[in-house]
Amino acid sequence: MSSLVLAASAGNVLTWVVWFGAALACVASGIAVVSFSNPFYSALALIGNLASLAVLYLLLSAEFVAAAQVLVYAGAVMVMFLFVIAYLGGRADAPWAGGPSLHRFAAVGAAVAILVEVLVVLGLKAGGELSHPARISGDFGSPAEIGRLFLTDHLLAFEITSVVLLIAAVGGVVLGSHARRLQAEEAGLE
Amino acid sequence: MKGPDVTWYLGVAAFMFATGALGVLLRRSPLIVLLSLELMLNGANLALIAFSRLHGGGAGQIFALSVMAVAASEVVVGLGLIVAMARRNLTLDVDKLTWLRG
Amino acid sequence: MTEITTSWICLFSPLVAVIVIALGGNRFSRRAAGVIATGSVALSFAAAVVAFATMLTRAPGNRSHLSTAWTWLSAGNLHFGLSVLVDPLSVFMMLVVSGVGGLIVLYSIGYMHGDDEERRYFAYMAMFVFSMLLLVQGGNLILLLSGWGLVGLSSYLLIGFWHERPAAIAAAKKAFVMNAIGDATFALALFLLIAKTGTLDYGLAFSKAHGLSQTVLILIALGLLGGAVAKSAQLPLHTWLPDAMEGPTPVSALIHAATMVTAGVYLIARTAPIFQLASVVQDTAAALGAVTLVMAGLIALVQTDIKRVIAYSTMSQIGYMFLGVGLGAYASGMFHLLTHAFFKALLFLAAGVVIHALAGEQDIRKMGGLRGLMPKTYAVFLVGALSLAGIPPFSGFFSKDPIIAATLERGGAFGYVMFVLAIGGTFLTGLYTFRLVFRVFHGDRDRFVDETFDTHHGEGPLVMLLPVGVLAIGATLAGWLQVPGGWHGVSSWLQPVAAPILETTNTQEAIASIVSVVLGLAGAGIAWWIYIARRRPAPAAVPAFERKFWFDELYDALFHRPAVTTAKVLYALVEGPLVGGSMAGIAEAVRGLGTGTGRLQTGLVRTYALALAASLAVLAVVFLAVR
Repeated sequence: MSSLVLAASAGNVLTWVVWFGAALACVASGIAVVSFSNPFYSALALIGNLASLAVLYLLLSAEFVAAAQVLVYAGAVMVMFLFVIAYLGGRADAPWAGGPSLHRFAAVGAAVAILVEVLVVLGLKAGGELSHPARISGDFGSPAEIGRLFLTDHLLAFEITSVVLLIAAVGGVVLGSHARRLQAEEAGLE
Repeated sequence: MKGPDVTWYLGVAAFMFATGALGVLLRRSPLIVLLSLELMLNGANLALIAFSRLHGGGAGQIFALSVMAVAASEVVVGLGLIVAMARRNLTLDVDKLTWLRG
Repeated sequence: MTEITTSWICLFSPLVAVIVIALGGNRFSRRAAGVIATGSVALSFAAAVVAFATMLTRAPGNRSHLSTAWTWLSAGNLHFGLSVLVDPLSVFMMLVVSGVGGLIVLYSIGYMHGDDEERRYFAYMAMFVFSMLLLVQGGNLILLLSGWGLVGLSSYLLIGFWHERPAAIAAAKKAFVMNAIGDATFALALFLLIAKTGTLDYGLAFSKAHGLSQTVLILIALGLLGGAVAKSAQLPLHTWLPDAMEGPTPVSALIHAATMVTAGVYLIARTAPIFQLASVVQDTAAALGAVTLVMAGLIALVQTDIKRVIAYSTMSQIGYMFLGVGLGAYASGMFHLLTHAFFKALLFLAAGVVIHALAGEQDIRKMGGLRGLMPKTYAVFLVGALSLAGIPPFSGFFSKDPIIAATLERGGAFGYVMFVLAIGGTFLTGLYTFRLVFRVFHGDRDRFVDETFDTHHGEGPLVMLLPVGVLAIGATLAGWLQVPGGWHGVSSWLQPVAAPILETTNTQEAIASIVSVVLGLAGAGIAWWIYIARRRPAPAAVPAFERKFWFDELYDALFHRPAVTTAKVLYALVEGPLVGGSMAGIAEAVRGLGTGTGRLQTGLVRTYALALAASLAVLAVVFLAVR
């Protein structure tokens, strides 16, 4: 009996440790994203951020979302980012260049205000209903469950999402071809 | 539920959101603005998944997946615009792009 | 199928055609639009025939049905259903409207061929037929009013169909305004009826009308009469009809001869119970009809435009119908409506053939001697003319004489004055009708005819001649539906709905017939004497007739000029400084606001983002505080 409790608490401690590591990585890489002057490093920091987020998702029993996060987000999307950054070359942008200004103070003020407000609300609510998560079955967040939800309860959202992706793809193609034609015209003029 | 409460996850989410917002407000490189936007979206995603876990329903995860799809679309269009700007030899600085001034 | 189902088909078939033609646009050829419109009206006619045949199998007391599709309009305690009333009177009108209408739309295919906007024309025509059917089939007075307004609209659109002609636009406006006066009095009558009886259903309103005071009844009947007078171009709201001849000839035939202008007669027959309770107004209707028939006949004597002559003759013949229904001889009035629909549509369409052959010329002074060139047209025109003049055995004889007989039956000073006016009208009818026949078809051929008449063209295509032929047969035979002293097809059919309030005797019928035939022949003879024997080019000009009894001038002085003067004064004193000034002030203020807010638009995306974030932060505080 006591060994069971011990095992449970050992599992609990382990979860805490993992969470702490992932959360720390998350926060640190988030700060890194906005403070690197080279976009390339920022992008790399964002990949780290996304990966540590995936760990948090796993802790929240969202297995499928975690997998999608790593594969689609940290994989595909960020690779495209890196390609574009590499294509454009290193264009450094010092985050604090130009010294403090009214706009900067206001920006920091707004961001801090948002953070503080959320934290205050969380503090007020902590220990209440937020501490009593629902019981979940084993297949919560599994690919099978997500697939079932997508094709039954949330079919419309699924279809709309696919249309949004299609439109974005068309938009990307149009933007690309437009830019190419423009370049060709300029070349012809010269 | 083992480990920390949902509260803690929400705290991390709020921090990411605020950090991303700071990046959007401060940085002038459109690339980093886009990256910061991703950070904000992911903060929101984390909150969605945490609430999904809290209520034991799948809707939050579905929402998060939809947000990911929208983020991907946004990246495609955003990067397309940035590349088009670069090809027209425009300065990659959001403060210089002020043709929509009234 | 029951008569109810077929009635619904009859009503909505033309509406479907309107929608199809309107939505089809260029996808249809012009000819296809004409075929669709004709087919839809033909389907209406077929449905009306089936309804008629079904009703024939029923006992006379069981021929009235009200079918409600759904409650169409609710306001307080008032509920109006979208309903059709299927009874002998409405089926009678359905047959006339869809039958004559179908023939005229068919004729239009030939007449309008080559016009730039044939599709629009056929859509309007089908819309007119739908409106007219709604008018006669509507199951309550509000639907009747809806149809009433819609036929006014269709008429406006069709008179002004050739919108590049300023005269056509002016005529369309005139018709619309004149009709609007009638619509207004009609609507006021309905308001009064609602206020006093709380319903507009025919049966219920009529039974409750018995309890109303004489003043209220007279006001209601006057309002209804106002609508009828305007729509049917009777004195004093008649001036729009001659001008309406600016529209295409088939339009004149369908709307301004056969159907729409007879709506007033239908209205009086339909609301007969109210008019009977207000007998003063009913007599007024008869008197207006009698005066109109003489006056229009006099004006028709001196008109030189072939269509205007027929238009004044239409006014005159509707005067007979008003006289009939005003005296309470409803079946006689409706019977004349039927035969008139045939022979007047025939005359218009035959005139259309002449106009078509002469490249659009309408002046009878440039015509003459067309008999040799257009024998078929001459024959049918003659049938129409004989019918109009009331010469037996053509239909006008059978339908006009019962009305004249009714004036005798009425008796008294009023009745005899009406009698004299009515027989005076028959004389005038013979005179102006045969003036037209002799002037257009007999005598020497004008040089203009030789120059313009296209011998290859002949008398027009089959689609034009076929309807004219059918109408000629109808104009010849329709009269035999009811023969005085013989059988009473129309009277007994309409008996359950509009029972006559006076019965003429055979003696009266005989006197009326003999007098009117003699006078009609006398008129024709005088016309022959003037135009054939003496070869007079035109009758001596009578200023009163030429100026149409100065009605246009009177209205101009009474309404038009004071209105224009008032408008100018109001513009100078009120609208200019007050409305114009305030508009300018508002515009200036908006422009200043726009310039001011435009400055906020810096174009700096980060500033916008900051505004967003800041308002998010503020809103979060607000939400927290409110909770």
